Amino acid sequence: MSPNSVIEYQPKDYKSSLKPIWCPGCGDYTVVQAIYRALAAIGRPPHEIAFVSGIGCSSRIPGYTTAYGFNSVHGRALPIAQGIKMANPDLLVLAAGGDGDGFSIGGGHIAHMIRRNMDIAYIVMDNQIYGLTKGQLSPTSQKGRITATSHYGSLEEPVNPLLYVLAYGAGFVAQAAPTDLPGMAAVIEEAIRYPGFAFVNIQSPCVTYGEEAQQVKGLKAISQNLVDIGHNPADRLAAMDLAQHYGSKLYLGVFYRNPEPPRTYTDLVKDRQELLSKDALPKERILDLFIKK
Amino acid sequence: MNDIDPESKPSGSRQTTPVPTRRDLVFGMAGSGGDGIVSAGESLLQAAAAEGYHGVMTKSFGSQIRGGESSCRVRISTAPILNPGGSLDVAVALNWDDFLKFGAELPVSGNTVVIYEAATNIPENQIPLVGVTPLQVIAVPIAAMAKATAGTERAKNTVVLGLIAGWFGIGAVAVMKGIRKKLAKKGEELVEANQRAFDAGRTFAMEHPLTTSMAVVASTTKGNVKLITDGNEMCAAAAIFAGCQFFGGYPITPSTEIMQFLTDHIWKYGGSVLQAEDEIAGIGAAVGASFAGKKSMTATSGPGFSLKCEMMGLASIAELPLVIVDVQRGGPSTGLPTKTEQSDLFAAVFSAHGDVIRPVLAPTSVADTFRTTIEAFNIAEFYQTPVIILSDQEIASRKETLDPIDVSQFEIIDRLVPTGTELRDYKRFKATENHISPISHPGLLGGTYLASGIEHVESGAPTNSGSVHQRMNDKRTKKFNPLKKRKDLFEVTGNEDAPIAIVAWGSVAGVCREALAMAKAEGINVKLLVPYLLYPVAEGAYHDFFASVQKGLIIEQSHLAQFHKLLRMHIDLPRGVKPLARSGANPFLPGEIVVALHQLLSELQRSHEGNLQPQE
Repeated sequence: MSPNSVIEYQPKDYKSSLKPIWCPGCGDYTVVQAIYRALAAIGRPPHEIAFVSGIGCSSRIPGYTTAYGFNSVHGRALPIAQGIKMANPDLLVLAAGGDGDGFSIGGGHIAHMIRRNMDIAYIVMDNQIYGLTKGQLSPTSQKGRITATSHYGSLEEPVNPLLYVLAYGAGFVAQAAPTDLPGMAAVIEEAIRYPGFAFVNIQSPCVTYGEEAQQVKGLKAISQNLVDIGHNPADRLAAMDLAQHYGSKLYLGVFYRNPEPPRTYTDLVKDRQELLSKDALPKERILDLFIKK
Repeated sequence: MNDIDPESKPSGSRQTTPVPTRRDLVFGMAGSGGDGIVSAGESLLQAAAAEGYHGVMTKSFGSQIRGGESSCRVRISTAPILNPGGSLDVAVALNWDDFLKFGAELPVSGNTVVIYEAATNIPENQIPLVGVTPLQVIAVPIAAMAKATAGTERAKNTVVLGLIAGWFGIGAVAVMKGIRKKLAKKGEELVEANQRAFDAGRTFAMEHPLTTSMAVVASTTKGNVKLITDGNEMCAAAAIFAGCQFFGGYPITPSTEIMQFLTDHIWKYGGSVLQAEDEIAGIGAAVGASFAGKKSMTATSGPGFSLKCEMMGLASIAELPLVIVDVQRGGPSTGLPTKTEQSDLFAAVFSAHGDVIRPVLAPTSVADTFRTTIEAFNIAEFYQTPVIILSDQEIASRKETLDPIDVSQFEIIDRLVPTGTELRDYKRFKATENHISPISHPGLLGGTYLASGIEHVESGAPTNSGSVHQRMNDKRTKKFNPLKKRKDLFEVTGNEDAPIAIVAWGSVAGVCREALAMAKAEGINVKLLVPYLLYPVAEGAYHDFFASVQKGLIIEQSHLAQFHKLLRMHIDLPRGVKPLARSGANPFLPGEIVVALHQLLSELQRSHEGNLQPQE
C-alpha cells in the first residue's frame, strides 16, 4: 500500500455477511482475508469485480466477498471467467478453487487459459485432499498417501501445479501460505495487477483431512521466501528449477513475472472489433450478406 | 469485372430448344469427391435463382475428409419450395458405385431421366438400379467431352451443367455467368475452357432430345432479388440481428458453420467468439458472458450436446439467458455425422439432471431459422433461461433461395434489468408475480449477488432448505406457463374440423406441408400441425388440434418415435393417432405420406361402416 495513494476502500468493504462453512482453522480463512486486503489495496469498487469459482470447500469463497460472485460447477471456473472477461473486459476478473477443481476435473482448461493470456488472476487453494467429499485423493496428494479412496496408499505421482503453469508459459506465477498473511496479500495483489493471466498457488492446509506435516506448523518448517534466497523473478528457467521442489520445499513469493508482458487477449479482441466495425452493415441489413447478384 | 454481355448466346444455341412443360424439377447427382458434384449443384442453384426460380439444394457426403462419395439434390420450381422433394426427376451418376451409396437419399422412379457416365461401360439397359424402369436412360461420354473441350476431366461438372441447360432449360446464360465470376481471378483461359465444356454439354443435349420434354417453364419473377443461404448461416445471422454479443463453441459437424460465420462477422458488432478447448469450455464461456450481461450463444451437434448438459443445468438454476443450438445428426455417439435425424429430442427435453424446464424450439426451413433463432433469444432473455434450438443437418446444410425478409416485423426482447429503486435492496431471485426477477450484471452498482449452481434463497445466498428448494423449483417452472399459451409458435394448416391429421416438426414438417397439399388435392380431409415450440409441451395447442381428429400420424425421423412418446407423456392422444417414424438418412417422401393418409382414410371409413345399424 503506497502512502501516497488515496485509499477509498478498506478490507472490510469486500467482506460479505455470509458466514463461511469452512472448518475452524481452515487455511482458506487466511486466503479470504488476504483477498480482502489485496482488493482494498487495488481499490476497485466491489461491483466492478467478478469472482468465479468451481466446486469444493475453497470454491465457496466468492460468496464471502461483496463482489459479483459465481459459484459455478466443478472444474469450470476458468471457462466461465473467460466468458465474463470477453463480455466485459473492463471488469476485474478473479477465479479461485481447489487443487481438484483446477488440476483434476478442470485441468484441461489451464493450458488454454494460459495461451490466451486473458487478464484474469487465478488463485488455487491447494490442500492435497478432497475435503468437501470427506477426504479422498486429490491430484496433488503425494504418492503413497492414505486417504478414503487409497487405504493402501496412492499409486500415483502428484501433479506439480507450479511446473504445470510455468511450462505452459504463464506470465505470472507465485506461491503463498497462511504462514505469512501480509506476504499472501502482497502476491495476490501483484497477481491481480499483472496485465495478463496470473497464477497463485496457495498451500492452504485442510485441518480435518490434512496430514500433520501439511498443517501450518509443518509448512513453516519447509518454507523459504524466494526474495531471501535471491531468486530473480524475471528468470523463468530458474523459476522452473525451484518449482521442481514442490512438495518437499515451500518457496513463497513470486516465481516468475514476465518482465515484458505481451498484450492480452481482450486487448487484441478490441483491436479487431475496432478495425472491423468500420465495414459493418447495419444489423437490420445483415441478410444482405446472402444476396447473390 | 470483365463480365461478358450476359445476353450473349453461347455457341450451340441454334439448335431447337425443347418445349417447356415442367414447373418443378428435382435433380440428384452423385460422384466421387473430386468430381465437383456439389460445386455443380451450387452453380445450378445460383443460376436458377438468377433466372427467378425458387430452389433448394441439399448435400450429402461420405464421412471421408477428401475423396469418397458426394452427392447433392437440387430442386427447382416456379413456386416456393417446401422440401428437397421426393423421387428424382433427373438422376446424374458420374459413377454407379458412388450413386448407389446414397440409396434412399437419391430415389429413382419410373418418372426419372437417368443420365450417367458412358465410360462406366454399362449398357443403358443394364444400369444397376433394382426394381425400377426409369423414364429414360442416357449414357453420355461426360469425361471424354470434358477432356476434349477443356483438356481435363475436372471439367466434368461443367459438362453436366451444359447438359442440364440443354435438356431442362435452366441456366443457359446464368451458369456461365456465375462460373465466369467464380473463375475470374484464375484467368481467361480457364473460363474459356469451361465455356467450351458447357457448350459441349448443351450441344449434346440438343442433338439428343429427351423422348418426353422436361424443360422448365420460364419464371415470371426473373430479376427479383433472391437470397441464397443455408440454415447454419441463417442461424448465425439471426443471432447477430437478435443482439448476440458472444459465442463460445467447439467445431463439430454439422454445426460448425455457425461459429465460422460469427468469426467472420460478430466483431463488427462489438461482439466476440471464443473457439474453446472443448465443448464444455465453449458453453462455459457463453454462460460467463451471459452472467456479464451479454446475449450469448453456443452451437453444437449430438456428442457435443451431451457434453454441454451440466452447464445447461447451471444456467437453468442460475436463471441465466443462453441460446444453445443442437444441429442434429444421426446418433447415438458418432453415429451418422453427416446425415440428418431427429433423435436428439429426448436429449434436448431431458438434458441435464434435476426438475427443470428448458424450452426447445425447432425451425422447419432455412427461411424460418431466422425467426426461430430470434425467438430463442427473446425467450432466453425474457424468461432468463437456456433455450435449445433443435435444428437438423438437412436444414443446417441445405441451401435455399429466399425472398428478402422484412426484418422490421421482429421485436427484440432484452432481459429485465433492475431499476434504481430495486437496486436499493436488491434480491437477484426475488419472488415476483410472474416468477421473473430483474437480473443485474457485474458493473452495475448495487446489483452484486452470488450466482450459483447451489440452491439459493432470494438474495442468492446458498441454502439447503427443502422448503426453499420447493419454492424455487416452483418459480423456475411456473415462469414458463405463458410460453405454453403462445399460439404463434404453432402452425395449423388444413380444415379445422378434419378427422385426419398429421403432426411433424423440424425438416420433416416441410415434407408434410407438401404431402398435405397433395392429399387435399386428392380429396382427403386432413390437417397439419407444425410446432415450433417442442418443449414445454403446450397441452392446450394439442388439445385444440386433436379435438376433431380420429386418425392421425406423428411423423418423425427417429427410430424410437421420440416426439410421439413425448406427446403421450403430456396428452391423451386420440387412439387412432400413431407414429410414422424411422431412423435418419431415410428421408420421408411427400408421396409416401399421401399413401399413408389414404390408408388412414380407408381405416376411418371401415370403422364408420361398423357403426351403421344392421338393416333388415
